[in-house]
Amino acid sequence: MNLSAILVLLREDRFAEGVAMLARQPGVEVHHQEPATGRVILVQEAPSVNDEVDGLKAIKALPGVIFAELVYHYFEEDTNLQARPPADLDSYQGLGDVPEYLNAP
Amino acid sequence: MSINRREFLKSSVAASAAAAVGMPIARNAVAAAKAAEADWQWDKGVCRFCGTGCGIMIATKDGKIVATKGDPDAPVNKGLNCIKGYFNGKILYGKDRLTQPLLRMTDGKFDKNGKFEPVTWEQAFDEMEKQFRRAYGELGPTGIGVFGSGQYTVQEGYVAAKLLKAGFRSNNIDPNARHCMASAVVGFFQVFGIDEPSGNYDDIERTDAAVLWGANMAEMHPILWSRIADRRLTHDKMKVVNLTTYRNMSSDLADLEIIFKPQTDLAIQNYILREIVKRDAVDWDFVNKHCVFATGPVDIGYGMRNTDKYAFESEKDIQAKENSAVLDKYEAVAMRRKEGDVMEMKHTKAPLAHWTIDYEEFKRGVEPYTLDFVAELSKGDPDESLDDFKKKLQELAEIYIEQGRKVVSFWTMGFNQHQRGSWVNENMYAIHLLLNKQTSPGSTAYSLTGQPSACGTAREVGTFAHRLPADTVVMLKPHRENAEKLWKLPTGTVNPKVGSHITKLMRDLEDGSVKFAWVQVNNPFQATANANHWIKAAREMDNFIVVSDPYPGISAKVADLILPSSMIFEKWGAYGNAERRTQMWRQQVAAPGQARSDVWQMLEFSKRFKYKDVWGELKVPGLKAEGFEDGKLPDVSAAAKAMGYTGEESLYEVLFATADNKKFAWPDDVSKGHGNQTAELLGDGWFPEKALFEEYAAFGRGHGHDLAPFDMYMRDDVRGLKWPVVDGKETEYRFVEGEDPYVKEGQGVAFYGPALKAIPAGNLDGVTDQTKTKHTDKAKIFFRPYAAPVEQPDANYPFWLVTGRVLEHWHSGTMTRRVPELNRAVPTAQIFMHPADAEAQGLARNDVVWIESRRGKIKSIVETQGRNTMPKGSVMVPWFDESVFINKVTLDATCPMSKETDFKKCAVKVYKA
Repeated sequence: MNLSAILVLLREDRFAEGVAMLARQPGVEVHHQEPATGRVILVQEAPSVNDEVDGLKAIKALPGVIFAELVYHYFEEDTNLQARPPADLDSYQGLGDVPEYLNAP
Repeated sequence: MSINRREFLKSSVAASAAAAVGMPIARNAVAAAKAAEADWQWDKGVCRFCGTGCGIMIATKDGKIVATKGDPDAPVNKGLNCIKGYFNGKILYGKDRLTQPLLRMTDGKFDKNGKFEPVTWEQAFDEMEKQFRRAYGELGPTGIGVFGSGQYTVQEGYVAAKLLKAGFRSNNIDPNARHCMASAVVGFFQVFGIDEPSGNYDDIERTDAAVLWGANMAEMHPILWSRIADRRLTHDKMKVVNLTTYRNMSSDLADLEIIFKPQTDLAIQNYILREIVKRDAVDWDFVNKHCVFATGPVDIGYGMRNTDKYAFESEKDIQAKENSAVLDKYEAVAMRRKEGDVMEMKHTKAPLAHWTIDYEEFKRGVEPYTLDFVAELSKGDPDESLDDFKKKLQELAEIYIEQGRKVVSFWTMGFNQHQRGSWVNENMYAIHLLLNKQTSPGSTAYSLTGQPSACGTAREVGTFAHRLPADTVVMLKPHRENAEKLWKLPTGTVNPKVGSHITKLMRDLEDGSVKFAWVQVNNPFQATANANHWIKAAREMDNFIVVSDPYPGISAKVADLILPSSMIFEKWGAYGNAERRTQMWRQQVAAPGQARSDVWQMLEFSKRFKYKDVWGELKVPGLKAEGFEDGKLPDVSAAAKAMGYTGEESLYEVLFATADNKKFAWPDDVSKGHGNQTAELLGDGWFPEKALFEEYAAFGRGHGHDLAPFDMYMRDDVRGLKWPVVDGKETEYRFVEGEDPYVKEGQGVAFYGPALKAIPAGNLDGVTDQTKTKHTDKAKIFFRPYAAPVEQPDANYPFWLVTGRVLEHWHSGTMTRRVPELNRAVPTAQIFMHPADAEAQGLARNDVVWIESRRGKIKSIVETQGRNTMPKGSVMVPWFDESVFINKVTLDATCPMSKETDFKKCAVKVYKA
């Protein structure tokens, strides 16, 4: 499980609707908000780091979001990070067995 | 994990984050955060990724990193991190982490065509020593090489440089940082006589305009970008300009977006210079007092091989231009010559030569760069009208010239990876110096950097083929003697002949002049342009390649021996960022399995050689230097014996575990209970990272590069210090009286850098008076013309190819891209194209295509939407993805002055696979 706290800066004139939109993002909870400065702290929960990155990208792309960056990152065992087998090297033995992308003319 | 625990953690994470960015929160939330983190140990650290140098806090629990957060006390990032910040903790725990040495073997013995099999460190070093001795014995100091890094810690870089230069007497060490900022370095030395930016990141909060030259800061330097965005939103006068070859994320915030044709930034700069001259906007008080005008040769080639002996048939037409090229119509105007003239490249061996010119010559140089000429040459979007483009150029000139407007120009790879990268850097300073917008807070030309210690290690320590620590170089006798004195070695030890730059190291492997290479903290077989040559050289030539790496990237896969390395928080280290800020961290966790720090690896290797192995006469082909016999390094054994050496000492004892260094004992209170794998494995009671830092710092103290004592950087209340640090005080702005202790009272401003101050005089075409005049304390304002790129699109290869980066991945992605094997089946780095270009080729979004150049071809997937919007005629491919190995396609032309490769322009065709 991965938890990340993200600072979002919203356009002040669209603050309320921005907060509502953020709250609707999957895995996202709005924890602190400061309408005067347009700042919001939200926590995103995601099963893997890739999902977290995708989630942050989606937040950045929302209308009215000026800025969104990570502040805090908590993580436990991340299954996706382990999906690539350690035997990886076996497929790259010598030139003959190097994968296509290393050999293509 | 229970729901309660999860909810509890979430509110704690949120409360910590709010506190970090200074948002007021309820007291009970703070208490909850503290409770959740009760059994965690927090310590300060530095982000391992780009060159910004963000501070992070790292939490460990039971010997593992469990959380990271932006450091609220770090002046660089003030509590924030970008997406890459996610990976600082996680990169340590990828499942395919290399944890034991692997050697290619058949029947239990090394075999270049064998399969990787686990070996002990002892076996690994045995084979490595054997292969090293074979290459060194046959070819001498030039037959071996190290591919170094801008990601080396300061101490790693110092050990590598000293082992090579003082130990093996070889200058064949060069970092991947050559690919990222060598052109910036040439600019700094030629203009100021000393390396690195004079301002700092606080210039952002003090400026009225940020002009981005080929730097997509929104994606590449997001934390600095957040500061620019904040300034843009809170300071009415603030303007943001994005000069780029395609629309990217940075355009979203920009007031002015200028899409230009690759390489024509040179022409746009000269247009601005011409406007400054024409409008009489030069600040003559400043320029007369602090600057001289200068220029250099234009017939300098493109940094390619000067022979076609190793070229593929299809490459030969481009390679031939290294020796002579025909001027196209724009280049002819820009250089005051005739279209079709043949330019013989007479200065490929001396591209760095330069001389003063007078202001009238400078004016004559910029005169051809009229608005009409530059607009026609540089307009990069065929769909934009020429009139609109002209208005934009005028607006850009106005932003620079406007009286009272402070301006910061930012750049990184867009300038530096450029066939005339040194020139674009120099032109930038010319603009700022003429206007006196270089040395005051909020006004400066600011060279950013891409790697965490490209400045702190590669440049300051000097892990380049020509450098020694603290801006000294191997070519100059006093610099060599200074190093030999500090290293307690005889005169004549250090090799005066510049070694091979990183691309040349690859060429050396190809032509057999290097037979042993050690790759450290980088991935050169993916990162070097025109890669088909180098992959083949590594696998088919008679050589031995060692790769120290935590993960198996392309370099590890083509290696003969893989050494598993410790990663950032598994060792002690220091980095230096792009505002001269040196930052340190402690080891936080143990490395997995048999992974070992790079420092330990090098120190252990050095134990295998005796001093007498290297102190005799050694052949160095081509060596020619005052005081040296041609082609030879002298036997220094007699002088060494006179100094008390016997020759039986190991290089470890002579270079590293010296009596002075052993005074720095491990354990040390500064550790606060943290471990030190290097010290503990060596087991002889000293603290290598501290001792070697102090030894290195001696080079710069008193010479404008003063570093603070090691312990000061470790203090809880210090978040790095900007050198020069004199009497415990850091320097915010260099070259300015009152800020910089090296500027004397009454000087106001002094560009005191000592290098390249004495030069001859001449005109635009060459030297007319060989007498060297010394221009003490002055900066140089260069005239540098537009020069055409060596390869341009034609009927056969109709598209410009530009390579770049995307936010989520960094460098070659070996750390950030720990993804399932399955993903390999589908290339994930896309080719960004204009929809009309795609349609004209019969292609649609998501089609699989071949991208082919004269040098190779690879497959990718078409993207016609998304974050990068290409103008017609240009395509862009990110380079992080090893399954879309774009460097098989790119051209290994370099800036002839900096030897930095131009990854930003070559010609390709794109067709359906």
